[in-house]
Amino acid sequence: MTLSEFYSSLSESLDEVLERLRMESRIVKYLGLFLSDPSFTELKEAFASNDAQTAFRAAHTLKGVAANLGLNKLSSSSSELTEDLRPGAFTANSPALLEKVELDYNAAVEGIKQLEQ
Amino acid sequence: MDEKRPLILIVDDVVMNRTLLSDILSDKYNIIEAQNGNEALLLLREKTSEISLVLLDMVMPEKDGIEVLAIMNKNGWINEIPVIMISGETAHSLVEGAYMLGVTDFIGRPFDEMVLKNRVNNTIRLYKKQKSLSDLVLNQIYEKTRNNSMMVTMLSHIVEFRNGESGMHVLHINTITEMLLRELLRRCKRNNITKYNINKNDIGVICTASSMHDIGKITIPDEILNKPGRLTKEEFEIMKEHTINCAQMLNAVPVGKDEPLMKYAYEICRWHHERWDGNGYPDGLKGDEIPIAAQIVSIADVYDALTSERCYKKAFSHEKALEMIHNNECGVFNPLLIECFDAIADKLVISLQAFDWSKQADKDFFYIADAMMNHSKHPIYNQVFRQFIDERKKSHFYESMLNGILFEYSYTPGVIKLSSKASKKLGLPRTIIDDYQPNNGEQSQASIENLEKIKKILRRHTVPKDRPTLIKQVFNIDGKSTPCNVKVLHIWTKGQNEAPVLTSMYGHIDISQ
Repeated sequence: MTLSEFYSSLSESLDEVLERLRMESRIVKYLGLFLSDPSFTELKEAFASNDAQTAFRAAHTLKGVAANLGLNKLSSSSSELTEDLRPGAFTANSPALLEKVELDYNAAVEGIKQLEQ
Repeated sequence: MDEKRPLILIVDDVVMNRTLLSDILSDKYNIIEAQNGNEALLLLREKTSEISLVLLDMVMPEKDGIEVLAIMNKNGWINEIPVIMISGETAHSLVEGAYMLGVTDFIGRPFDEMVLKNRVNNTIRLYKKQKSLSDLVLNQIYEKTRNNSMMVTMLSHIVEFRNGESGMHVLHINTITEMLLRELLRRCKRNNITKYNINKNDIGVICTASSMHDIGKITIPDEILNKPGRLTKEEFEIMKEHTINCAQMLNAVPVGKDEPLMKYAYEICRWHHERWDGNGYPDGLKGDEIPIAAQIVSIADVYDALTSERCYKKAFSHEKALEMIHNNECGVFNPLLIECFDAIADKLVISLQAFDWSKQADKDFFYIADAMMNHSKHPIYNQVFRQFIDERKKSHFYESMLNGILFEYSYTPGVIKLSSKASKKLGLPRTIIDDYQPNNGEQSQASIENLEKIKKILRRHTVPKDRPTLIKQVFNIDGKSTPCNVKVLHIWTKGQNEAPVLTSMYGHIDISQ
């Protein structure tokens, strides 16, 4: 899979990312690093341990990192979760929002793994 | 031109974000990284004068970006180090809050490489320009003031030498005037006396003016000026004219009419022979009709004349001179100034004996630094940092000569710092942050105990005062339980109209027992 195909498969645009980050090699490198970024794991763990503040921070981080890599779906679902958690407590919506984030996250990770092969 | 690459501090809790920024910027800049607010503050404290720019994330564990900014404001760092905030944060009020706390710019995520590079570059360039301009101004002012006071010293020495007196008289008057002024300011502040209308920033210029108190004597003929033995009544009348003559000379100077130096020089030259009861000359002014600068110089002049040898008299002892001043044998002085004189009398003897030219240069410098730092609109910080750096070098040197170990503690951020010797002897790291958890595997029981004991000393109740406190404490040194004398000094900082705040503590542990 090419980088362009990777973005297309997620219905995102490589051109937009390339305009900001300049180099394909750089984008590939950071997509690789994204796999080892702990934010998503932290987010899940924070939900499990009922720690809304840490969950907020993790969602916030995920939102920023994803946006930088042009993973706009993931960024926008993380953003919704961030705003939901901003007051510092879980709401009735939180689990559903997390599910959406997880879906987008898994799609991205799956694609990156294929890209690396 | 071979210029040093500017240093950028990147603060972000996410490795990926730090790496990306560093990737983009490291071709033109040197980069250091911090992964939370506490680490960032430590680095800022260490390298205040080296860091050219901070790229700051907003949401972080430990201390977040806003807290870092608040402390940068409190310590004045924000005035010298530009901060660009980079965050995915979009909440209007938070972004506005960051601007209110002085960030130069705000870059949202996702960011564009080209925009980031240009903003970083522009910000560093602007600050550099501003810094070199303020350095330039500072150096100019310093040079100018130094040259001026050197000129004044030279001229007043020429007058002194014609009088056949040693050049020390001018220097003594300088020292006494300064000490009296400081004491007077203290007392005025304590007792809410405002009538004298002088403040700390006037000290330098009044001292310079005091050097000129006798320049009128160049108008007095040699045979009167240098006559051995007593002057006749007629001769004395001529001698007295040096006050009026000087005032006339200064009036005829075409420039500087509105300068404080000219005003004080005029007052001092004309009225430094007036007395509190109206029995002085030339105008017979009484009490506080005599400007305060002239009152101070008149006491200084009398004291130095009494304790110096002249062609017509021997030198009196310090005690005898004090007694004569108290008994009004040289005329009556302002009782408040007599009180001030008594208060500084002991210190005065030492200062006059230990007079040192190199210290005089230092003093000039501190007057200027003082005035600039206290400037209400444009305080200047760079010089302060340089001094700070010099102080650090100095204390490293002193410590290496010392038979003991040193530690220090700052309250925001809460950090204990140990000298390298202290770190070795106590078995602890050189820098210990408040929430530091000793690692049982690595740290011995003895060193953990030592840390607890230092923390105990830090927690002791204290009040604002300038004296060190002596504490007895047992430390485990080289595996032996060692009773030590610990001396600590607390530094309280007082802002304008604020209660003093404890900012840092310095300690010395005597391990020789």
